[in-house]
Amino acid sequence: MKRICSLMLVLCLLIPSGAFAADLFIAQAANFTPVLKEIIPLFEKASGLKVEATYASTGKLYGQIVNDAPYDMLMAADEKRPNKLYADGLAEKPFVYAKGQVVLWSNDKNFCGDDWKATVVNPAVKRVSIANTETAPYGTSSMKAMQAVGIWDKVQPKLVFGQSISQAFQFASTGSADAGFCAYSSVFTEVGKKGCFAVVDEAPPVIQAACVLKSAPHPEAAAKFVKFLSTPEVQALKIKYGYK
Amino acid sequence: MDWTPLILSAKLALWTMLLIPVLASPMASLLAFGRFKGKSLLDAVVTLPMVMPPTVLGFALLVVMGPRGYLGGLWEDVTGDRLVFSFSGILIASMVFNLPFAVQPLRASLEKLDPRLLESAAVLGLSPLATFFRIVLPNCLGGLAAASILVFAHSLGEFGVILMVGGSIPGQTQVASVAIFEAVEALRFDDAFRMSAALIPVCFAVLLIINKINARRT
Repeated sequence: MKRICSLMLVLCLLIPSGAFAADLFIAQAANFTPVLKEIIPLFEKASGLKVEATYASTGKLYGQIVNDAPYDMLMAADEKRPNKLYADGLAEKPFVYAKGQVVLWSNDKNFCGDDWKATVVNPAVKRVSIANTETAPYGTSSMKAMQAVGIWDKVQPKLVFGQSISQAFQFASTGSADAGFCAYSSVFTEVGKKGCFAVVDEAPPVIQAACVLKSAPHPEAAAKFVKFLSTPEVQALKIKYGYK
Repeated sequence: MDWTPLILSAKLALWTMLLIPVLASPMASLLAFGRFKGKSLLDAVVTLPMVMPPTVLGFALLVVMGPRGYLGGLWEDVTGDRLVFSFSGILIASMVFNLPFAVQPLRASLEKLDPRLLESAAVLGLSPLATFFRIVLPNCLGGLAAASILVFAHSLGEFGVILMVGGSIPGQTQVASVAIFEAVEALRFDDAFRMSAALIPVCFAVLLIINKINARRT
C-alpha cells in the first residue's frame, strides 16, 4: 500500500505541465459555455489549432485579465467590460458575437405553459433565483423586465442571487429555488431539458461582446478564431442555443 | 458604504461559536475516550469538511438542505419556511463546515486529561455530572477556548459554502466575504477595501488570543 502511494506521488510529480499547452486560450462568460463547447471542436478541426477555454463570470474574468492573466481573448456576457478593456488600452476593438435572451426556467412542470409573470408572482413560488443584478448582465436584464411590468417590488423578497447566470440556474435546477431567471442557452443542457421555461420578452437582449487582448500570447490564432465566429456553422449553432 | 454584511458575518460567527459545542463535545469525547469499532471511520467523517473543497461541501449541503433534500424537506414540513437561502440555513452549513475545527482541539485537550484525576474523583464518590463540571470542564477550558475562537475566526472568513447555500440575500445571507467578492466583481474596489480592512484587525486579534491561550497551556 505504502509503495503504491509513493509511486502515485512520484507519478503526479512527473506529469509534464506542458501537456496542457494550447494554441489559443479563451476566457468565456459562463452563459455561452454550451455553444463554445460545440464551436471549439469545429474550429480545431478546421484550423488544426488546439483551444483551451475557461468558463467563469465576466466580472471574474475581467479581474483576472487586468491582473495579467494570459488569455488571448475575452468573450464577455456584456459590452461594458470589453469596452473598458479597450478604453484602458488592454484590448483591441470589441465586437458583438451574440445576443442572449432571458428565460424563466423551472423544475416544476406545474408551471409549464404559464406566462412568466404569473409564475413569479404565484404564492406557491417561494424563491426565485436571479443572477447578481449589478455584475451579471443577465441579472440586470431580468431586473429590467420585472421593473417594466411593474412587479419588481413585489418579487424582490423572493429573490436569491447567484454570482453568475450559471449559479442562478444551479439554484433553480437543484430545486432550491422554485424558478429562476436563466439564459436561454441553459434550457438546452441535459438538466435544462428536464424542466420547462417561458421566454421573458420584456427583458432587453443581452448584448455580448468579445475582444482580443493586446497581451494575447497567440494573436494569429485569435484572429483566425474571430473570423471563424462569423461562419454560417457558428451562426447555426448560436440559433440552436437561443442566441441571435 | 453598507456595514450590514459585516454585522451579519459577526452574527453568524457568534451563533456558530455558541452552538457548536453542543455538536462537537459529544463527538470529541467519543473520539477521545471511546473504544469501539468504526472509530477511525467516525474520525474521518468528522474531519471530512476540513479537507473537502468548500464549494463541493456547499453543493452537497445545497442538495441535502433544498426542499427536495431530506433535511430541507423535513425543515419545510415543520417550519413552513425554506432552509436554504435563510440565516438558519447558512448557520447549519457553517456548523457542519466548522465541526472538525472544534472537535480537534477539544479532543486533544480531553486526551491530555490525567486519567488518575478521574479515577480519584470516582474513588472519592463524585457523581459523573459533578466530575464533568469540577474536573473535566476546568481542565479543558483551554481547549474549549481555542476551539471557540478558531470557529469564530473561521466562520468570519467563510466563503465557498455560504456562496452555495446562501443566495446572497442582503441582510439575511449576504455575509462579508460574499459582499467583498461582489464588490470586486462590480469594480467597487473602495468598498471591497474598506470591508477587508475592517476584517483584518479582528482576525489579527483572534490569532493573538489563540497564541495567548496556547502559551498559558504549555
